[in-house]
Amino acid sequence: MTDLSVPFRERAGRALDDHFLQEALTIATTKFIELRREAFGSFPEGDALRDRARAIKEATLQRLDAHLERLIDRVEALGGHVHFARTAAEAREIILGIAKRTGARMAVKSKSMATEEIDLNEALEHAGVTPVETDLGEYIIQLAHEKPSHIIAPAIHKTKGQVAELFTRVLGRPAEPDPEALTRIARAELREKFLQADLGITGANFAVAETGTVVLVTNEGNGRMITSLPRVHVAVMGVEKVVPSMTDLMVFLAILARSATGQKLSVYTTMVQGPRRADELEGPDEFHLVLLDNGRIRQLAGTLREALSCLRCGACLNVCPVYRQIGGHAYGYTYPGPIGILLTAMLNGNAAVRDLAHASSLCGACLDACPVRIDIPRMLIALRKENVEAGRAPAAERSAFGAFARLLRHPALYRAAAPLARVLQRPLARGRRIRRLPLFFGAWTRTRDLPVVAPRTFSERWRALERER
Amino acid sequence: MTTRAEFLGEIRREMAKTPGAFPATPALRPARPAEVAETIRRELAERWPETLERFRQEFERVGGVFYRVGSIDAVPGVVGRIAREREARRLVAWHPSALGRDLVPPLRSEGLDGEAMPPGALDDPRARQALRERIAAADLGLTGVDLAIAETGSLVLVSGAGRPRSTSLLPPYHVAVFDRTALVESLAQVGVLLEAWHAGEAPAGRGAAINVITGPSRTADIELTLTRGVHGPKEVHAIFVEAPWRG
Ligand code: SF4
Repeated sequence: MTDLSVPFRERAGRALDDHFLQEALTIATTKFIELRREAFGSFPEGDALRDRARAIKEATLQRLDAHLERLIDRVEALGGHVHFARTAAEAREIILGIAKRTGARMAVKSKSMATEEIDLNEALEHAGVTPVETDLGEYIIQLAHEKPSHIIAPAIHKTKGQVAELFTRVLGRPAEPDPEALTRIARAELREKFLQADLGITGANFAVAETGTVVLVTNEGNGRMITSLPRVHVAVMGVEKVVPSMTDLMVFLAILARSATGQKLSVYTTMVQGPRRADELEGPDEFHLVLLDNGRIRQLAGTLREALSCLRCGACLNVCPVYRQIGGHAYGYTYPGPIGILLTAMLNGNAAVRDLAHASSLCGACLDACPVRIDIPRMLIALRKENVEAGRAPAAERSAFGAFARLLRHPALYRAAAPLARVLQRPLARGRRIRRLPLFFGAWTRTRDLPVVAPRTFSERWRALERER
Repeated sequence: MTTRAEFLGEIRREMAKTPGAFPATPALRPARPAEVAETIRRELAERWPETLERFRQEFERVGGVFYRVGSIDAVPGVVGRIAREREARRLVAWHPSALGRDLVPPLRSEGLDGEAMPPGALDDPRARQALRERIAAADLGLTGVDLAIAETGSLVLVSGAGRPRSTSLLPPYHVAVFDRTALVESLAQVGVLLEAWHAGEAPAGRGAAINVITGPSRTADIELTLTRGVHGPKEVHAIFVEAPWRG
């Protein structure tokens, strides 16, 4: 593996540790790939279930209006409230309205890409509501004021030493660099927040139309905490997350965790049907479901329709040679990796991905790994074409990413190119990051810094190690 | 703000533009889920030993601790041992009506400081708050089980009257008691039972949350090191009782 494009991420002036990120990414993605392979290897019905799952998604999209109507009716009949957000701004407004009306001062959140997509945390803070991320990885990066680097392992870029330092500094709790001790500290800190918070905000992995059930899948139990303790629960979900029935849901549950982490099921699958019932001791008094469009609906008939079937399992990230090189941050948007490029185009428009659409070698590994067999390469090509037709893709950038992709396909070529790149980048690099690249990558680095090619690439180091042995 | 009609109207406009990617249908649901559920139960009544063995294997694989006892009367002894080994004292349990037996008195004899949950909601917010604090301070949570899934080693717990959601969530040790009537083989069978449970009106006392629990709470968010008990329990124990104790 190489250090060609590790994104810069430490803003506090501390030393970069790109080698750690690179190695962490390699180890994490390799481990996830192995776990996934094992999980499906011992699951002969897996292939048929994947086909089934995709067919259910497609069938649901074909009658999306009817399934959503059913979902809305059921949630309302159960005493829940349903809201409709065409845009991120509208979704924020709805949620802030609920926070204000209920007098919430703190909101506990369970890992939710949808709320990240709408930049909810900033909006909450602005309105005087403290958002607290409760997924351990998300909590760590929230304390560090950073962004997630992986859908499934958001803080994969941080060492235990960095986490210990962070906890000591921000929480004022002297912490040892030991994952178990650090987890205990986070448990204690977050336990208090769960017990205090008036408002709980989650995404939804699925929503079952027939029963009005919102389904949350977590390993840590934060989804359970939020659906048990705060007075008000708001679930934010993209319209495409609806599935018709409980029978359909089981098909997805059987493949989701296997694809994400190799587990047969994640530790907790939480299914909630509206607010607490009359003779229940716990559960929210108020339940709100926010149905989010934000660019999804127009894709029903668009180039990216297939991407509406995505389960956000992260499998396509792990197998992607580009993601494995550059990590989640370099993509610069909420959703990284191959599917992230498509979702970014869906949410922010094609222009947002005129460069990103080329951050793929079109090797097809994502399609093979995807539990619902989303043909990501096909849509990436379509996006490139549309952007070219709209006169949006300067040839220089295209060829730069193309060259990168070619390098990835030809290790020998890459090994030859890396030393050259180190020489060529010298005039551009200030310290350890490249502020602005002229020529090919100009537009790409306008919004993000690119770290310099590491003094030695992993493949060079690996060869050196081999010699030493 | 966008209204329901506007929102769905927009969806219909876009849907009208395309026939879809390929002809497809959702999964075939059982027409009479209650009957299919009954058939599953009948078949499992004969096959339960194999199902239990598979459950045990899978449950242990995900980090659960399995026990088998002859009757419900042996349960307090097992719970007492679990507690003593962990220096745990305070226990919260489902209400006897939900558990099928009042185990608090025999648990007290085991040296445990036990409390049964109230049979329903508490109207007084202060009483509710005080109870929540006691649940949060408890070391052990004792619950029943609605389904035990052999394929995945999972325990399914439905919330409701006398069975608060946090009993199996806040204490660091969760102990669940079940018998053969809870056993199912597969997620597909769980699908049928969920269809059956949701057909028609919810019975009195049924809560709004169903949790499928597959082992102890876990995370690998720091350097991919597997760590237990981040928000939920760090240990899950399942006690199988050979003789069903509910009528
Ligand atoms: S595109 Fe497929 S593999 Fe990638 S996150 Fe979505 S469901 Fe998983």
